[in-house]
Amino acid sequence: MLGLNLIPPLVRTALAMVFVGGLMGYAGTGFITTVVADSGVLGGGGESSPAHKCVIAIIQRDSASTRLCSQSPLVQRALQQQNVSQQVTDAKPLTLTYLGSGSTGRVSVHIYAVEIQAGGGHYQFFPLALTIVGGRVVRVD
Amino acid sequence: MSANAPMSNARAALVLATFLGGLVAGVVVYAVTDKGADPNPYASLPRAAEPAVTADVARALENDDAKALSNLLDATVLQQLQTAIEPLTDIRSMKFVGAVEKNGRVLAAYVAGGRISDGTDIVRGFVLSVTGDQIVGVN
Repeated sequence: MLGLNLIPPLVRTALAMVFVGGLMGYAGTGFITTVVADSGVLGGGGESSPAHKCVIAIIQRDSASTRLCSQSPLVQRALQQQNVSQQVTDAKPLTLTYLGSGSTGRVSVHIYAVEIQAGGGHYQFFPLALTIVGGRVVRVD
Repeated sequence: MSANAPMSNARAALVLATFLGGLVAGVVVYAVTDKGADPNPYASLPRAAEPAVTADVARALENDDAKALSNLLDATVLQQLQTAIEPLTDIRSMKFVGAVEKNGRVLAAYVAGGRISDGTDIVRGFVLSVTGDQIVGVN
């Protein structure tokens, strides 16, 4: 191209290297941080994105929580769905606190404390422990 | 310079340096622009210190000290604890991950690491509920 030919070869090469290096650095960092955070390979000290999405879906009574929170057999998912539909719909989450996590290998556990103001002034303060294997929430206690 | 001419050391060093510079810049840009985990739409409670009574329970579990555990917890709570740590049969580590307090009730979270009956290493998370220096429940 005419425009590129006006740039000295050395500068052109340098610009190309900066561009390629920048792309690799950006994409590589994104990939590595996502894989490491979601798999718990390096201890899983931080909050996992799947755990966060799952716990938000649970406290917001989002029916998608069954899809986000479990890869368990059909019956278990159906039971979860039933629980979700039976819960009071006007419950209002007050606080959601991430307590921390622990892991071994690809298995990590993320623990939250939830405060909910349910209908009729009923107040609940309870924990949720989410077990993640290979980036997927497989159990909610 | 023709395309097939050997690259001088200075030029090779420059190419490598610009590539590494770009790589570092890419990492920095990612770190600056990354928003991390999705934001929490709700308020969070302030962290509380680990209650002494739950620390004693964690120590008893880690040391496989059944006598201490029986002195610390009543039968109902012991049964809840058993359910909470199933299917762990051999606890090798206990980690306190955090605690919060609200209206005089403290939730203290732990992660137990160990083995199940077939020798597989797993972790189980459980939360001890404390009211007035007494453990009143396990989730």
